[in-house]
Amino acid sequence: MMNRRMTLRRILALCVAAGVCMHAAAHRFHAGIADISYNARTGSTEVVHTYMAHDVEALLTELYQRQFDLSDPDDQAVLRKYVDKQFWLADKDGRRLPLNWVGVTVDTDSVVVFQEAMRTPAGKVETIHDAVLSDFLPDQQNTVNLTANGSLRTFGFTSNRTELSTH
Amino acid sequence: MRTVPLLLAASCVHACAWADDPVIQRVLVEGARASQLGIADAASAGTVNQNELALRTVYRPGELLEAAPGLIVSQHSGEGKANQFFLRGFNLDHGTDLATWLDDMPVNQRSHAHGQGWTDLNFLIPELTARLDYRKGPYSARDGDFASAGSAAITYANRLARNVATVSAGRDGYARAALAASRETGDGVLTYALEAVHNDGPYVHPDDYQKLNGVLRYSRGYANNGWSVTAMAYRGRWHATDQVPERAVAAGLLGRFDAVDTSDGGAAKRFSLSGVWRRTGQDAATKVSGYVIRNQLDLWSDFTYFMHDPVNGDQFAQPDRRVTSGVKATHSRHVHLGETAASDVTVGVEAQNDNIFNGLYGTQARRVLAVTRADHVVETSAAAFIENATRWNRWFRTTVGVRADDVRFRVRSSLAANSGTTQDSLASPSVNLVFGPWRQTEFYVNHGAGFHSNDARGTVTAPGTTPGLVRSRGMELGLRTEAIPDMQTAVSLYRLDFDSELTYVGDAGTTEAGPPSRRTGIEFSNYYKPYKWLSIAFDAAYAHARSRGAAPGRDRIPEAIEGVGQLALTVSRLGAWDGALRLRWFGPRPLVDDDSVRSRASTTLTGRLGYRISRAVRLELEGFNLTNRRASAIDYYYASRLRGEAAAREDVHFHPIEPRSFRLTLVKNW
Repeated sequence: MMNRRMTLRRILALCVAAGVCMHAAAHRFHAGIADISYNARTGSTEVVHTYMAHDVEALLTELYQRQFDLSDPDDQAVLRKYVDKQFWLADKDGRRLPLNWVGVTVDTDSVVVFQEAMRTPAGKVETIHDAVLSDFLPDQQNTVNLTANGSLRTFGFTSNRTELSTH
Repeated sequence: MRTVPLLLAASCVHACAWADDPVIQRVLVEGARASQLGIADAASAGTVNQNELALRTVYRPGELLEAAPGLIVSQHSGEGKANQFFLRGFNLDHGTDLATWLDDMPVNQRSHAHGQGWTDLNFLIPELTARLDYRKGPYSARDGDFASAGSAAITYANRLARNVATVSAGRDGYARAALAASRETGDGVLTYALEAVHNDGPYVHPDDYQKLNGVLRYSRGYANNGWSVTAMAYRGRWHATDQVPERAVAAGLLGRFDAVDTSDGGAAKRFSLSGVWRRTGQDAATKVSGYVIRNQLDLWSDFTYFMHDPVNGDQFAQPDRRVTSGVKATHSRHVHLGETAASDVTVGVEAQNDNIFNGLYGTQARRVLAVTRADHVVETSAAAFIENATRWNRWFRTTVGVRADDVRFRVRSSLAANSGTTQDSLASPSVNLVFGPWRQTEFYVNHGAGFHSNDARGTVTAPGTTPGLVRSRGMELGLRTEAIPDMQTAVSLYRLDFDSELTYVGDAGTTEAGPPSRRTGIEFSNYYKPYKWLSIAFDAAYAHARSRGAAPGRDRIPEAIEGVGQLALTVSRLGAWDGALRLRWFGPRPLVDDDSVRSRASTTLTGRLGYRISRAVRLELEGFNLTNRRASAIDYYYASRLRGEAAAREDVHFHPIEPRSFRLTLVKNW
């Protein structure tokens, strides 16, 4: 819950920082957030992505020219394929951490994607690759919050910067 | 705690959504029909998505266009022939005044041997069809020739989310196999489809319609920031059972599914190569598309039997071979005007050239007896438009535009008197005012001028009397509301004037420029989706069509449709089951100008039942004309003479609706 609230606040903060709401005449601001944290109860590292629904809709429409319904498993699989391709985590040897698709929730404003790396502490994340939507929207700004070893660190991704080391 | 930032974020999204919308397409993620509020410029415009199209029961591919409320697609001949279309008080014949596009390629063929604006949609592959956008009335500067009654733009998918293979079998020799798939290749995607169809129909002399159809597309990037190149090939051949005279059926000389001339039929080929390139940014969007289309048609028809030639019969051939090439380019700029105001300016240029060899021959059993005329037609057109779409404030937006069209007609005919060159040009302004939304309700005022081109062969022989371009003027008041939850309702009241009506000449199988006309009508369409698994569509349309300047009591327009209605019930994702039922009412038409002979209405019920065997395999049963009505697909009234008749007689000639039939389909996805 904490993550989710922070996520939404952060999107808001990004909007305000970009001056969108100050003068709506400006462009829509394209932003996404991914929170990576360890869940001690399950022993998994969880990834919660939040994107603007409009951006995800536009992405899928421009790829497939049709309307998508993300509550339909077949349509959800299409988004999954895309996210799996554009977002991944790797350990210090460069091996991808297997990210399972937990699910997705959709409301009128946001699309939230849940992934988890089973039996993996967040500290194992050495590389973050995040190109979700930035291949589609040149001004997309993705923020990744990594909570590992008791500290929160934030990484910014753009279409020109899609991969970062956590060290 | 959570809702406040959410709402703030939401308000931010909505405020900004206007800024981007015209440039980046907006859809919903709710499984319902996407809202047109804030998007469409008229109550009569809309979009039908792939899911809705896939759930339709279609006897022939052209019927996909019936997803546009008020549009009727029929057939009066062999299955490979272009369909007959009806919309807004028009018998559109084979597509006149309905501009149809597939991925920016024109489907209408101008100066066609058989009918102006000939629209043969048999090459349409439903598995690739991702969306249908329709507009009615001449209110958009983006639409040119043939778009006065309406326009339909079909989009094929650049890539398929799931590949599909399907086999179907049905009554009367119906069989279909199709494959449509996408494959990632390097940075691009290859999408291909193959289709083979056979259908005899219920006729005494089977259609033996054989269709082979293929599409190959390579695309890179996103549709709005990328490009695609597409090759298509279609071949069809068929025997035709043309309309038959009622008197012969009444006398027992002919069965309802019988033919008079069993050698009628045709063969069609279509090959195309096309490309689309688009670049979309925050402030600008550019699109360039081009195409080369090779169309060939051989068509043998006999509508009057032995009236003109009591010995050899009246069969005639209308071969048409053409290469159509063209380009379209648009550039949009987005301007911010203030907190709630934004403006898009779009300029566009279009050019199209048709190099046509067509003719009209007298034939007997497809053997040429005489050349009535043979023509080489070169029709070249250029157009430019500018359109401004402005949102002035939270409750008012406008789209205004003007387009200029210029067409050159050159005809070299077998008869010197039929040869010549002429040129015509027109400017067509349009204004659309949109008020709202208030309580999920928008109001529209639309006004615009449009046109259709006449057959080049008519324009050069009598310049001055038959203009190249015929002006239409339309106006419309509309309302669209989503005030009732899960319900989308649109009402439009329209008027459309034509300077000259194109009428179908049954005995020659051609169209002829006629007197001016006026149509007024009302359309009412509803889409209700109370549950995720259930949707109900109810549409009704009524039109009043009259010739102007005609003698009193003789102002009816033959075959002009008056009333149309449909009620469709669709159930999807109800466990493993889904299904649909659709009742279509095709209202009566006057068949002669004094309204003394009228066609009867026809009501047909179609349905489908689908069962999902596994995630990848589905079984579908489609049923057509479920109540087994004996009705006409189309009626005409004209004179004909059967063998053995002393003189020609005026009569109703009809083509029957297919009796109850079923098709079973196995669909495999992966």
